[in-house]
Amino acid sequence: MTGAGTDPWTRADVFAVDGEIGPDLARIDWSAHPLGPPDGWPQSLRTAVRILLSSRFPMWLAWGPELTFFCNAAYRRDTLGRKYPWALGRPAHEVWTEIWDDIGPRIGTVLRTGEATWDEGLLLFLERSDYREETYHTFSYSPLRDDDGALVGMLCVVSEETDRVIGERRMATLRDLGSDPSVIRTEQETLAFAGRQLGRNPWDLPFTLTYLFGDDGVARLAEATGVAAGHPAAPATLSPDDAGARWPVRALAEGESLLVPLDGDDVAGLPAGGWPDPPTQALVVPLRQQGGVPYGFLVAGLNRYREFDDGYRGFVELTAGHVATGIASARSYQAQQRRAEELAELDRAKTAFFSNISHEFRTPLTLIVGPVDELRGRLRDADEQIREELEVIRRNGLRLGKLVNSLLDFSRIEAGRMQARYQPVDLAAVTADLASVFRSAIERAGLAFEVDCRPLPRPVHVDPAMWEKVVLNLLSNALKFTFDGTVSVTLRAEGGQAVLRVVDTGIGVTEDEMPRLFERFHRIENARARSDEGSGIGLALVKELVGLHGGTIGAASTPGRGTEFTVRLPFGAAHLPADALAPAGSDRAPVSAEPFVQEALRWLPTDPDAEPVPDDPAPVDVPAPTRPGQVAARVLVADDNADMREYLARLLRSAGHRVQTVADGQAALEAARALPPDLVVSDVMMPRLDGLQLVAALRADPRTAGTPVLLLSARAGQDASIEGLEAGADDYLVKPFPAAELLARVRANVELARLRNHHARWRTALIDSLQEAFFVCDSDGAVVEINAAFTDILGYGPEGLPYRSTQQPWWPDPEAEPDARRQVSAAFSVLLGQARGAFTVPVTHRNGHRLWIAAAFNQVDDPDTGRRMLVGTFRDVTAEHYAVQRESALAGLSVRLSRADDLTDALHGVLDEMRRLWRATGVLTAVFGDSPTPDVTGTDPLLRWDSLPDERRQALVALRDTPPLTPVATRSHGAGITVEHPHGTMALWIDLGEKRPFTEQDQTLLALLAGHVGQGLHRVHQIDQQRETALALQRAILGPARLPAGFAVRYAPATLPLKVGGDWYDTVGLPDGRIGIVVGDCVGHGLRAATVMGQLRSACRALLLQDASPAQTLMALDRFAALLPGAPCATVFCGVLDPATGRLRYASAGHPPAIVVHPDGTPTLLDQGRSRPLAVHAGRPRPEAEATVPARATLMLYTDGLVERRRQPLTAGIGRATATLQEGRSVPVDALASDVMDRLTPDGGYDDDVALLLYRHPGPLELDFPAESSRLAEVRTALRGWLDRCGLAPAYSYNVLVAAGEACANAIEHGHRDTPGGRIRLRAAATADALRVSVTDSGRWRDQNRPADPSRGRGLALMRALMDSITVTPGATGTTVDMQARIIR
Amino acid sequence: MSTALTLTTSGDPDGSRVLTVVGEIDMSNAATFGAALDEAVRPDGEPLVVDLTKVEYLDSAGLAVLFPHAERIALVASPLLEPLLTISGLAELTTVRSG
Repeated sequence: MTGAGTDPWTRADVFAVDGEIGPDLARIDWSAHPLGPPDGWPQSLRTAVRILLSSRFPMWLAWGPELTFFCNAAYRRDTLGRKYPWALGRPAHEVWTEIWDDIGPRIGTVLRTGEATWDEGLLLFLERSDYREETYHTFSYSPLRDDDGALVGMLCVVSEETDRVIGERRMATLRDLGSDPSVIRTEQETLAFAGRQLGRNPWDLPFTLTYLFGDDGVARLAEATGVAAGHPAAPATLSPDDAGARWPVRALAEGESLLVPLDGDDVAGLPAGGWPDPPTQALVVPLRQQGGVPYGFLVAGLNRYREFDDGYRGFVELTAGHVATGIASARSYQAQQRRAEELAELDRAKTAFFSNISHEFRTPLTLIVGPVDELRGRLRDADEQIREELEVIRRNGLRLGKLVNSLLDFSRIEAGRMQARYQPVDLAAVTADLASVFRSAIERAGLAFEVDCRPLPRPVHVDPAMWEKVVLNLLSNALKFTFDGTVSVTLRAEGGQAVLRVVDTGIGVTEDEMPRLFERFHRIENARARSDEGSGIGLALVKELVGLHGGTIGAASTPGRGTEFTVRLPFGAAHLPADALAPAGSDRAPVSAEPFVQEALRWLPTDPDAEPVPDDPAPVDVPAPTRPGQVAARVLVADDNADMREYLARLLRSAGHRVQTVADGQAALEAARALPPDLVVSDVMMPRLDGLQLVAALRADPRTAGTPVLLLSARAGQDASIEGLEAGADDYLVKPFPAAELLARVRANVELARLRNHHARWRTALIDSLQEAFFVCDSDGAVVEINAAFTDILGYGPEGLPYRSTQQPWWPDPEAEPDARRQVSAAFSVLLGQARGAFTVPVTHRNGHRLWIAAAFNQVDDPDTGRRMLVGTFRDVTAEHYAVQRESALAGLSVRLSRADDLTDALHGVLDEMRRLWRATGVLTAVFGDSPTPDVTGTDPLLRWDSLPDERRQALVALRDTPPLTPVATRSHGAGITVEHPHGTMALWIDLGEKRPFTEQDQTLLALLAGHVGQGLHRVHQIDQQRETALALQRAILGPARLPAGFAVRYAPATLPLKVGGDWYDTVGLPDGRIGIVVGDCVGHGLRAATVMGQLRSACRALLLQDASPAQTLMALDRFAALLPGAPCATVFCGVLDPATGRLRYASAGHPPAIVVHPDGTPTLLDQGRSRPLAVHAGRPRPEAEATVPARATLMLYTDGLVERRRQPLTAGIGRATATLQEGRSVPVDALASDVMDRLTPDGGYDDDVALLLYRHPGPLELDFPAESSRLAEVRTALRGWLDRCGLAPAYSYNVLVAAGEACANAIEHGHRDTPGGRIRLRAAATADALRVSVTDSGRWRDQNRPADPSRGRGLALMRALMDSITVTPGATGTTVDMQARIIR
Repeated sequence: MSTALTLTTSGDPDGSRVLTVVGEIDMSNAATFGAALDEAVRPDGEPLVVDLTKVEYLDSAGLAVLFPHAERIALVASPLLEPLLTISGLAELTTVRSG
């Protein structure tokens, strides 16, 4: 065994393993401490402290009678606080006096029962800081044993969960506050709802007061939780002018949060919420309003058992923020309702105004367009921007003029006041001229333009201005709806009519739209067009104008192929009113084609050299300068009119916004989805996707649902604005609009949206602030949304979304960890198959670490899409998982160690347990002890050091030299550690097989187990040694290991597993050749009796050697026994036997009589010389008797356990013993001893100690002599003497003598003729009626068939003649001749 | 060292020669006994009386010496030796008297 002096853990400073706590532990004056100096500590304590200090888990331990406190650095950091280093070395009940009522009984239980405890999230009030602190701990207490296995301490592995428990509690409150946002409430409902939620958390919010400011600046109590109305701390109103007000109204009105101590009289008797004592301070937080004075403020009483830290402040402020949001929502909802009504009223007025006075536009338009034309001419050399802006004015002036003219045309037509002048014209030339005006626009659009106007046979009467409108409108229409192909104009004379065809290869018109094609103000919805501008009056006007000419217009169309308009005019003038006819060329009206062309050109892609201002870059770039007090926003502008786009962009940029422009609703939707803007400003009428559709699409996508949309439209009227708002637009602005109003609306909408989107952002912030990981899966199991904790725990962030079910990167590798993979797969199918559930599975962190997570999930239906989704949370339970694993591993190991009988057994148990724990392919240990080759033990029983591969041996040797209990994990798929084995350093190697990582957790566990193993092995070793010692001591007190010849003994202790009891036997070789024989019986049995017995036996032995008189011996023993507690009343039979003669002198101290059975079966009881038991009347003389044990008789000494039976006289038992002896008198004495024990065994075994001593007289003769003929004479002399003692007749003896002599001669002749120097053994033994002699040589006989010396052949014949049976047994190491002869009386 | 054996040759009063053997005869001294016998036995005349009365042990080694001279000797033996001489067949070849 490794002595204390050579224990490496004694030499090495036990505190040196840790540089933080170790030095402080070392500074303690241990010599004055009950535990004493560390070098005197038991190995188990040193191990425990070492494990403690080297662990990175928070742990503390208590040891010894005072439960002396030790802890490690992690515990100091997490839990101990300012008690460090004061706590080190102190009694645990002093260190944790404030929670001793909670933990004391638990520790007591552990120390009493040896069973570990486990507590999860236990609330403890610690005083480790400057206050009594609410804390939660999950911990287990495990028993610690000293080197003797006694329970002397406990180890506590702790994880503090205060943050988790409190965080969950606060999150629950915040979650509840946001739990029902869909219902818009009145302010009162909102406050009452918030109050109910706040009232449910009396721990973080022992009481709350919500005050709202009125217009007069007075704050009124609107809601209170935890405190009754009328309490002095909750006045109904607070004036800002009252300097002594309970709460600082004035500061709050300015938006400050304040921490207010609660120490005045008016706060006496405040309720305590969920705690024993009321708050000592309160946080007062304004209920902030976007861009205004706060709505009011929230007073939150603070939990006095928690530090008021940033987290706590954040919680209260979030709570207040939510209350403020609720108020804002309620108020803004009311405001919006009011504004929608106002807008509708405004639109009604505008519509009426526009309808009534549109003709009044003509004058101002003229005054705009005219001067602008002049300016254009005058400013031809001005800078480009001025010219561009003039162009914009002019173009839009023309366009407006055209629109107004068209409208007036209609009203004239309707009123019948259209004044046409029909002139005969060369219609082909006029039409071709008009068409050519559009050529450049059509060709710039990438279309072919074919004009085929053949001269007509007769002139056609037309009003040139009207015809111009007919042709230009038709061409404008063709260009607008044609994206590739051709536009063609043909004029023919057909059937007495002039026929104009305008044909395009555009999008066509569906059949159901055809009847309404020429309907006034009818627009084909959703048609793809170059522009969605247009009033829907072009074709209607054409039809009216053609009708005025007495002509017709028709259309044919195939969707996707194109449209053909056909105008037919009669020749001549007969169909026209005569007063409207004019001569040819009389009134050439000014060509008004320019507005048409200018408008058409603006639909087309801009010239490269006339590029508009580029869009603003993405918001990562330098933000546009913002004027103070303004909201800078990212604005997406969608308008199909390039002028309007540019105008809006310029306007918005000037206000500091960042602008992106797109030309239609579809482009706007794509841009918004790519990067949601703060606001969308969109025209209502746009190609591809109009404004209303854009709003609907934005609202349907969760990413853009909250993006505000401001619609712009020229379509005035109540219905239009209501339609826009109903579609989900946030605001509606009718063109034309003042720039200032647009900017104000933009700003208001951005601010309003920020407020309104608070809920969405709140949800995101809430989910992100959850300490539990949060995820949403679609019905296929793909993870589509996660929060920050998810990323923190698993290492995978939102950039990888969605994580498809089969490729989720945190699933364990199926190759390396098939078991873990299976667990995750199984859990995943549960996830997809059930409505709700929970599971704990292993997953792999992005950095490769093994994690265990406990997840819970629910199926929910997405309210927007109706699709089934999964919402789940999980938390990292790695530490708990490993704590459980550690506990069960320690328990398993302890059981195996405690069951072990010896070191080998213990080690095998350890290896099996470790292999099971790590599912290792094998575990092996090599003990580097005194022997030259290390002692290898493995789960593979065939492993030997020599059979190990070289690299494994080298690895083990290298491992041996590492510090003890320091795990070494290698890339070769395994891990090792060294442990102090009682025989030397033990290297332990765990072979994990293929590609299995041995994680940090595994290493911690291995270190812990190894510490346990080392301790356990030492304990087993000690027990082993103690048992061996006990056995040796028991054997020593039992009796002589070697008996004289002829004796046989048996011993059966009544108390197992003891090998000794109160009975004894003894034989003592006396100097004169006689033999002292003793059988004794102390009172009782068991260990106590055995110790008395041992002393009596030794004393008796010594006394016999001094004076070979049995009576004298017993008298001396009387005196000895009188002084020895437990010895009086012992019974002893003591005799002195002369083995030569069989004479026996004996004396009995109250002991049952010895029995002699003669060869003929006659029994004799040696019942003389009897007297009282030992130490009874000590000093009185004792009698002594003499008897003779006849030749071949059997003598039996015994204790009463052999013969005594309940409810039977002792004599009956003695009779049975005698009969057994009689029957066995022909059996060799040793076999007879077994027979006696067997046959006298009572049912159920001996219930008392039994000692039995048999002697057959004379004892066997055993001779061992050199194989030399000269020794034969003395052998014969000895044998002759023995035969005499056997009481045999001379002639019989002579026969035996000759037969034995012949056997010896044979042994010399045959056995040793070729190998001199050998030896011969002769043994002779007698029973009552038979004699047995055997002669064994150590040589090899020659071939028995070889013609031998005739005299030797005669020798064998003699032996056969003289004895009853001869057996010759040749063997490799010699030959035995065995001879037997019956003895006839 | 050989087993103790005393060999004495003398004349009997009736003229016959007597070899008196005292001690034990075994393989260690049978040759000595044989030599004495060889010397004492005469090819003719009265047979040599070999007195084994004082021989306490005689085994096949001694018998082997006696057998060749069986016709020239007469044995005197104690009752102890008689069964042996009978068993060995020597008693049939020579005269054996009780001594």
